[in-house]
Amino acid sequence: MSTHTSGWQKAGAWAAILFGATYFILPLVATFEFSLRMRRGEYSFDAYRSVFTDAQFQESFSYSILMAVLTIVIGMLLIVPTAYWVRLRLPQFRPVMEFVTLLPLVIPAIVIVFGYLRLYNSSSLIPFTGSARGTDILLMFSFMTLSLPYMYRSVDTAMRTIDVATLTEAAQSLGAPWRTILFRCIFPNVMSGVLSGAFITFAIVIGEFTMPSLLNRPAFGPYLQLIGANRAYEPPALAIIAFAITWLSVGLLQLLSRFNKARPPKP
Amino acid sequence: MSFLELSAIKKSFGPVQVVHDFNMAIDKGEFISFLGPSGCGKTTILRMIAGFETPTDGTIVINGRDQTALKPNQRNIGMVFQAYALFPNMTVFENVAFGLKVAGKPRAEIEARVKEMLALIHLEHLAERYPYQMSGGQQQRVALARALAPKPQVLLLDEPLSALDAKIRVSLREEIRLIQRQLGITTVFVTHDQEEALSISDRIVVMNAGRADQIGTPSEIYNRPATRFVASFVGTLNLIEAQVEDPDARRIRMGEQSLAIQDPLSGLKGGERVSVALRPEAATLSPTDRSDAAIPGEVVSSHFLGSVVRTKLKVGESTISFDMFNDPGRTPPAPGEQVTLHFASRDLLVIRD
Ligand SMILES: Nc1ncnc2c1ncn2[C@@H]1O[C@H](COP(=O)(O)OP(=O)(O)OP(=O)(O)O)[C@@H](O)[C@H]1O
Ligand SMILES: [Mg+2]
Repeated sequence: MSTHTSGWQKAGAWAAILFGATYFILPLVATFEFSLRMRRGEYSFDAYRSVFTDAQFQESFSYSILMAVLTIVIGMLLIVPTAYWVRLRLPQFRPVMEFVTLLPLVIPAIVIVFGYLRLYNSSSLIPFTGSARGTDILLMFSFMTLSLPYMYRSVDTAMRTIDVATLTEAAQSLGAPWRTILFRCIFPNVMSGVLSGAFITFAIVIGEFTMPSLLNRPAFGPYLQLIGANRAYEPPALAIIAFAITWLSVGLLQLLSRFNKARPPKP
Repeated sequence: MSFLELSAIKKSFGPVQVVHDFNMAIDKGEFISFLGPSGCGKTTILRMIAGFETPTDGTIVINGRDQTALKPNQRNIGMVFQAYALFPNMTVFENVAFGLKVAGKPRAEIEARVKEMLALIHLEHLAERYPYQMSGGQQQRVALARALAPKPQVLLLDEPLSALDAKIRVSLREEIRLIQRQLGITTVFVTHDQEEALSISDRIVVMNAGRADQIGTPSEIYNRPATRFVASFVGTLNLIEAQVEDPDARRIRMGEQSLAIQDPLSGLKGGERVSVALRPEAATLSPTDRSDAAIPGEVVSSHFLGSVVRTKLKVGESTISFDMFNDPGRTPPAPGEQVTLHFASRDLLVIRD
């Protein structure tokens, strides 16, 4: 390619980036600016103070964080062994797994949650929604479903970089049982995938509205919606907080992937 | 009774039988090589000894105990893989300690044993390194130490040197042999490199299409190949057509000459055609005190290989290679030159199919 066209292309690319950035940044700046105007005539963090001191914020936010952590831990305990087993023993099943794990992206959350309500209502065989604790469990599994595409994919990708079959055989010949192989030889080597999956899951769970709202649990998403409908200055403050949390997750993800590049698991 | 016994082993993958009736008895402390072309079933047999594959039929007995039904992690067998297969998340020390930790050995014992193993492979100074920080040769030595640390009954190596470059391949195979001798561990080594097998083994199993064609010491395999396959797979083979003259007197006729050979001609009748083989190093251009036979030929080509010059001759219908030591004072024969090849009739091998 000639330098002439690449020069033009470069300029075009920068223009596009600038335009896109304006499109993103302008509303963000406006939101932030507005969130600072709670006190008449001067900028202040009053809206943020109001949010942070709101007991409901603390409750819903810690509820969602707990949910996110549980979703990540239990999800990974299910997904890593599954991805491992499919790679090791059922390679012909990989296309099926890809398809199944992609389904939550295609089926709207609202459809999934109505399915749950039909299947697990208090008069059904498995009455998850009969109690608050049961609904919490159901909610956690619904979060797992929503984050399945991301969790499975990131774990499976990490697994591609190690020779799962040979490492397994090496560990077996050294006398290791399955549990040891999984937790000492496989898990640590797919940690980068586990972590990036975990951060995406975290962001999804914190922001999710449909599931907790329809299951009537006090999560952060419905709280966000409630405040948005009733207050003026707090919603932009909350939006900025949620945004900051998301970007913190993405930043950590970047950091970890770089950390992972510095230590490539070479076969 | 032998230490490791494979009896009537058969293995099929679906409808395809890849190992046919394999029998082998290995003594304690022996170094055995499986030699054969790609796809002949070497890895499959090794994996059955390790327990990663179950034989379709037959038994595997180690030290008097039937292993056939045991899982790989119950067999205490050390295994070294072509791709090293070190755990990427563990340091050299942790890799070598893995088997001992799994066995629940006390900490002090683990530390002592790992140190001992690292000293054996001369890598004490790299104990804290991760696998990706080491060369292939170093990684493979760590893999060897890791396999040996839990004092396995048998050590299995599947083409452990194939991924390394030529120089390291030679030095590491000698190191493996030295360590094997020091520890006196029964070892099965898989390779498709004949030089590797000939140089380090007590005995070699030459495999062909899922069968053992010949089991013997390196010199037996090389000097007395049992089948045409073994003769052609191990070393370079020159086939010369001849006729049986007198089977009882072990005489054959080659062109105008009648030659007495060492190989028995049992089962062959006078006048029958027979192929005889001559190793490249058994022939010379001028007579020696051993040589008692000669054939004329025309030089086709000459290749300088360093210490030897390999020359190809056209003799009748067939082409024969022979090696002579490099002599700086003499130019190698030129193509088209007429020469006479001298050899000892005792060195001729009768090839049966
Ligand atoms: N899991 C399997 N399923 C089906 N066929 C197999 C399997 N493993 C090996 N084979 C077949 O068995 C035959 C022997 O394979 P094996 O790996 O033992 O050969 P090898 O002698 O080790 O060859 P190489 O020198 O290339 O490693 C091959 O034809 C191979 O295709
Ligand atoms: Mg093989």
